[in-house]
Amino acid sequence: MSPAAIELRNVKKNFGLAEIIRGVDLSLAKGERHAIIGPNGAGKSTLFNLITGKWGVSAGSVKVHGESVENQKPYAINRRGLSRSFQITNIFPKMTVFENIRCGLLWTMGYKYSFWTLVNRQPKLTERTNEILEQINMSSKRNEIAGVLTYAEQRALEIGITIAGGADIIMLDEPTAGMSHSETDYMVELIRGVTENKTLVMVEHDMGVVFDLADKISVLVYGKIIASDTPENVRADVKVQEAYLGTAADAEY
Amino acid sequence: MTVAKESSAVTNTRMPWFNISQAMPWIMAIGFLLVLPVMFASGSALTIMNQMAITIIFALSYNMLLGQGGMLSFGHAVYMGLGGFFCVHLMNMVEYDNLWLPLPFLPVFGGLFGLIFAILIGSFSTGRAGTVFAMISLGVGELIAASSIIVVAFFGGEEGISGDRTMGPSTFGLDFASQLEVYYLTAVWLVISALAMFLFSLTPIGRIANAVRDNAERAEFLGYSQRHVRFISFCASGFFAGIAGGLFAINFEILTEENLNLATSGSILLITFLGGVGFFIGPIIGAIVFTLLQTVLSLYTEIWQLYVGTLFLLTVMFFPYGLTGLIAMHIRPYKLGKISMLYQSYLRMSVPAIVCILSLFSLLEITFHARHAAIGEEQMRLFWISFNSHSILPWLVVIALALGSGWMVKSLAPDIKEAWDEANYVGPGK
Repeated sequence: MSPAAIELRNVKKNFGLAEIIRGVDLSLAKGERHAIIGPNGAGKSTLFNLITGKWGVSAGSVKVHGESVENQKPYAINRRGLSRSFQITNIFPKMTVFENIRCGLLWTMGYKYSFWTLVNRQPKLTERTNEILEQINMSSKRNEIAGVLTYAEQRALEIGITIAGGADIIMLDEPTAGMSHSETDYMVELIRGVTENKTLVMVEHDMGVVFDLADKISVLVYGKIIASDTPENVRADVKVQEAYLGTAADAEY
Repeated sequence: MTVAKESSAVTNTRMPWFNISQAMPWIMAIGFLLVLPVMFASGSALTIMNQMAITIIFALSYNMLLGQGGMLSFGHAVYMGLGGFFCVHLMNMVEYDNLWLPLPFLPVFGGLFGLIFAILIGSFSTGRAGTVFAMISLGVGELIAASSIIVVAFFGGEEGISGDRTMGPSTFGLDFASQLEVYYLTAVWLVISALAMFLFSLTPIGRIANAVRDNAERAEFLGYSQRHVRFISFCASGFFAGIAGGLFAINFEILTEENLNLATSGSILLITFLGGVGFFIGPIIGAIVFTLLQTVLSLYTEIWQLYVGTLFLLTVMFFPYGLTGLIAMHIRPYKLGKISMLYQSYLRMSVPAIVCILSLFSLLEITFHARHAAIGEEQMRLFWISFNSHSILPWLVVIALALGSGWMVKSLAPDIKEAWDEANYVGPGK
């Protein structure tokens, strides 16, 4: 059996005396669509930052495709085929939409730190960039400066940058935060399309999105995972209802 | 999706190796460089043009850091200066130790020396951008400038170190004794360096340097180490600064502490910003304007630095994209076909604006003369008028002119704004 896409063993993270993540075990099979939910301040984004290398872990191990990556730099982890988006829109605001996507492609297409090739003379690179633009339905915006796009468009662009490099593990941090109903529906379809046959991990507050997209749900409360199961079982779980769904879900809807 | 179809059709046709519309600005620039010395043949004009060309290369290399890489350096003179010092030593080795090195290739070695130092210093300074990088560059700049006084063997102490460019093996029958020969040598290097730096900005590393400048964190999650990206840009920038240093050595045949110090590093920041950091051509315009002000204005007034400083301040405050940004602002009205709407209000504004600037200029000059001229020397000439700077009348005239024209400028300002809004308005006129 091939190793898990992501495997966490007793991961802990504290900032000074504050323990944010208090021993998380989590294993994601390849191709799984996994949602992490939990009340505000539970440590969801922190967990994301630990897996993607933004922060180092205080204890425990993080494995991506069976290899230890804890305390490696984000770029090193990304090169193993793990790509993420951010809770707050995180694009290259002064560059065009086309260039934003192209930046996501350069490393994995083998250009690395090359200073002997010209980017606009690489037909394959341009072609691939256009394909991604079409996939996220932004071909008509290709020459616009990313910073002037609407919020929903910027979020879609961010998804585009995230998937461009062809990573097989995609991690999305609240991809539908702050979106209207129709925008959310659109985003769900977009995510479903671009993450086909890939491992998806997402943090999400919108329960509609979570139950719509995820095969499995983990519930994170105060730095610990209290349940990790299929949506039906999580919904039925008494502990989860007590800790989260019962109160928070009412508030969400 | 017609747009998508169109764009994929564009990509399927391979880009030709040579594209005439892209090459045109370069061909025009080369033609311009060729005829310049015919138009301005005097020795001092040649000196100014050489200095301009060197400053352009230096400013372009600086913009690789600031404009393209988002690194604010306060010590870029170090790489130009060290490249220059090394080249003077090489010239002396050619003269005394029979080293075979034709002069036209000397700048390459300046560049390599700049590169070596950029590798050494960049290895620890490019870890962070922002304030940390700026402070390290400031410290290193001061360190090297201070050691130039201490390490006399290499830097020649306070009087610097000088050489003779004409002692090398003759190249194509040229010995580079004349200014004109040096001009063409400098011009060739200017074109090579500028083209190389332009192409660098179009490579994967050049594009990613922009990405790291905009959002270093995002780039890290796309497989790029921000540190490595900055380091490579830094090294390339050091290399081209070194080439500028080599050309400086050839032109002036002397390098001193002044070529390394903070004042020089500061002025290249000023030049680049004045021209506009957001554009490739910005530093070129900045270098041309600054060199002209420095050489021509200083012939007429002792307080030229005050004017340059004021120009810089006004640019930073009102046109943060520099002089090039000011020009680029007019592309939109031009494309909308409404540029003619601006002519009239610009023309109306120009007279009071020029009078206002010149009267403020006169006020400063009269004050300077009254305070600093030798005792007993009370007559001064300004704009072909001779008068007594200690009498009250010229003061009154100048102040009245300044206030009057200033008031006119102020009352015309809403007009300009209205014309501007109208010219930038998409759609038919209101």
